[in-house]
Amino acid sequence: MNPPTDGRRQSPSWYESAARDRARLLLDAGTFAEFLGPEAREMSPHLGIFDLPRQFDDGIVVGRGKLAGTPVFVAAQEGRFMGGAFGEVHGAKLVGLLRAARDASRDGGTMPVLILFDTGGVRLQEANVGELAIGEVMRAVIEARRAGAKVIGLVGGRAGCYGGGGLIAGTCSALAVSEHGRIAVSGPEVIETNRGVEEFDSKDRSLVWRTMGGKHRRLLGGAELFVDDTIDAFRAAAIALIERAPAFDLAMLKAEQARLAERLKRFGSCADGLDVWKQAGVDDPAKVPGMPADEFIALAQHIGEGRHDAR
Amino acid sequence: MTIWNKARAARDARLRAGGRIAKGKIVQAADATALLEAVIEPGDRVCLEGDNQKQADLLARALAAVDVAKVHDLHMVQSGIVLPEHLDLFDSGIAKRLDYAFSGPQSTRIARMLFGGKIELGAVHTYLELFARYFVDLTPNVALIVAVAADRDGNLYTGANTEDTPTVVEATAFKDGVVVAQVNEIVDSLPRVDIPGDRVNFVIKSDKPFYVEPLFTRDPGAITETQILTAMLAIKGIYAPYGIKRLNHGIGFNTAAIELLLPTYGERLGLRGKIATRFALNPHPTLIPAIESGWVEQIHSFGGEVGMEDYIRARSDIYFTGIDGSLRSNRAICQTAGLYACDMFIGSTLQIDLQGNSSTVTTQRIAGFGGAPNMGSDSHGRRHPSAPWLMAGKEADPDGAPALRRGRKLVVQIVETFGDKNVPTFVEKLDAIELADKLKLELAPVMVYADDVTHVVTEAGIANLLLCRSKEEREQAIRGVAGYTDVGRGRDAKMVQQLRERGVVRWPEDLGIDPLDADRSLLAARSIEDLVRWSGGLYAAPSRFRNW
Repeated sequence: MNPPTDGRRQSPSWYESAARDRARLLLDAGTFAEFLGPEAREMSPHLGIFDLPRQFDDGIVVGRGKLAGTPVFVAAQEGRFMGGAFGEVHGAKLVGLLRAARDASRDGGTMPVLILFDTGGVRLQEANVGELAIGEVMRAVIEARRAGAKVIGLVGGRAGCYGGGGLIAGTCSALAVSEHGRIAVSGPEVIETNRGVEEFDSKDRSLVWRTMGGKHRRLLGGAELFVDDTIDAFRAAAIALIERAPAFDLAMLKAEQARLAERLKRFGSCADGLDVWKQAGVDDPAKVPGMPADEFIALAQHIGEGRHDAR
Repeated sequence: MTIWNKARAARDARLRAGGRIAKGKIVQAADATALLEAVIEPGDRVCLEGDNQKQADLLARALAAVDVAKVHDLHMVQSGIVLPEHLDLFDSGIAKRLDYAFSGPQSTRIARMLFGGKIELGAVHTYLELFARYFVDLTPNVALIVAVAADRDGNLYTGANTEDTPTVVEATAFKDGVVVAQVNEIVDSLPRVDIPGDRVNFVIKSDKPFYVEPLFTRDPGAITETQILTAMLAIKGIYAPYGIKRLNHGIGFNTAAIELLLPTYGERLGLRGKIATRFALNPHPTLIPAIESGWVEQIHSFGGEVGMEDYIRARSDIYFTGIDGSLRSNRAICQTAGLYACDMFIGSTLQIDLQGNSSTVTTQRIAGFGGAPNMGSDSHGRRHPSAPWLMAGKEADPDGAPALRRGRKLVVQIVETFGDKNVPTFVEKLDAIELADKLKLELAPVMVYADDVTHVVTEAGIANLLLCRSKEEREQAIRGVAGYTDVGRGRDAKMVQQLRERGVVRWPEDLGIDPLDADRSLLAARSIEDLVRWSGGLYAAPSRFRNW
């Protein structure tokens, strides 16, 4: 009856792990090598103006390593530093990594990129350069994908994947998400502030999860895979998604457009996540939030969107 | 000829006026304001039940809507200033004078209104102190209270959050006052009677359930490694050597960390059954793993906690429950239990000065005291011995005659050297003193006085103030655990070294604790979801704490 008492699960919790640990443990043991690590002290030139603490890695870890023997690039955001927000340096590190993947892929090989999202979006203190960073990252993702690289997003951190992070996630080849992961553009507090508490009560966390959470994104087709909150589960998902993510071409874009139009038609009139799930074919939607991961994965496989050429 | 029953006659007149609006004792919600205009007179002392957790919100709205020409200049005497309406009363002139204990969510606005002269302040009390004054010089003329259900005779069922109600009703009903209750429902028969109907004059069924705050739920997901380190130090450096079995915990994350370390770190130290077995404590969800692991024998509570109802019902060996099976809480009695029958209080604070005075007041926020000063004080009325109490007394006065030596309650302040937004916890001078100057208060709002504090725990170590023999030693002991704050850096290294040798100051290494061992994997539960699992699904976490 008792849950884990000593916290020792077979594989560490993704949610609980720090960004550097996620990157290191996700890859084959001993293969992770960091670019521009903390020793390089590439810090935000802006935060000091506001008397805010900076970090030596500006809240993102980038590097290379091997995943099941295959070379990959990896970027991991640290949600515990300023909510994993994008600033100038933070964004530039990710852009550089994506451009390196583009160049490596253009030269004949393919270099997959794993983006371990954990972000509230743009760092407000760096507003303009932060917004520019989002735009540059999105462009860099598309360029890398056009060159043949698979860009896989993994979402399961404290800060979720919000704001510009949600936009970037939308440009990825495929996404895997855990229960704790949330994917959206406007966060709950932003919606409440702009549209009122009647529209969206940000303190109603089960509403937040029904609207943006991992299970909802999986059932809606916004994420390809739902995974348990362990490093091992995310690793398996990354391997699977690199394998199956579609190529980036006109046929895929047309299929994706058709898929999104179909989704709007199917779910456009739903007022709540529960309605969406019901519409998607879940018999007892109220049970979904409390459902253990393995049970939900089976359910999602059973009713989830069929395989198609869209992402 | 002297008339000896003027107050009773006046009460009867109020009841007749109110009775014209009521049917029996029942008044419609739409008539609530009219009822209050009928039974309340200008200048009355009114207790608008605002407790730590539950709020008479319908009655608060109704009172805020009275015609100020009919009802004005009230003297509010209530423990909690929690709802916006509680202060709207002063803006509109319905109320003028205030005596209270706690103002958590309104702490910023109340400070502004005090500076602006909108409120004539009597005093900021501790709970027991305010309750005591209900029976001496702050007896309410009218009490506006809140309960879960009533029957047609006015008997009340309060459910888990009984809180202040019995005390307020006792003072009002037995001294010719009028008691008005708002309830969620009116039923034919109650699960149990918490307040007898002959003490209740009017009952109003509210259009929606009363507001109650889950004030004691701490999300294990937000506990930091620094807090875990302070918890390890407290368990190994204080709970274990004194053998603290009877205690009260504050509501901060440090004490939540202690609760979650009992089944892991505490178990490893072999302390089960030797410490932390009996509590004066609200039903903290973070105590579930310790309860389930067999650490806890008994808990008496000030109030309830949203979501804990079914768990409590299923664990009646641990909690106080009524014949209906649900929790019975009582703030006045639990505060008394904490004051007289506990050997330790451990809680957090915002500021500590060089002698150990502590305060949660800043110049912008006046949060009040609540119960911490009652829990966090050494009762001079205590006469029964216990091992921790005697041991602490001996440390404070090693040369005194044992049979005449008072014991000491342990009053432990557990803090991080830097608090929220990296503001240092240790200061040369409390903000409370500046506030008292500005408001021309005779007393600075000090939460726990230095002479009551026995230990200060931070991530840098433990200062045992019982062992200090001079003001200077005391200051250096506090500086010795103040880390890298200015106060900490201002320490006399040589003197702190001597204090460490005497065990007055103990740093983590002096206790055999490696700060690198302070890891979140030590927590018995690391999320609200884990707590639900520990409870076997009995704990129904409020939606705002869920991440699923």
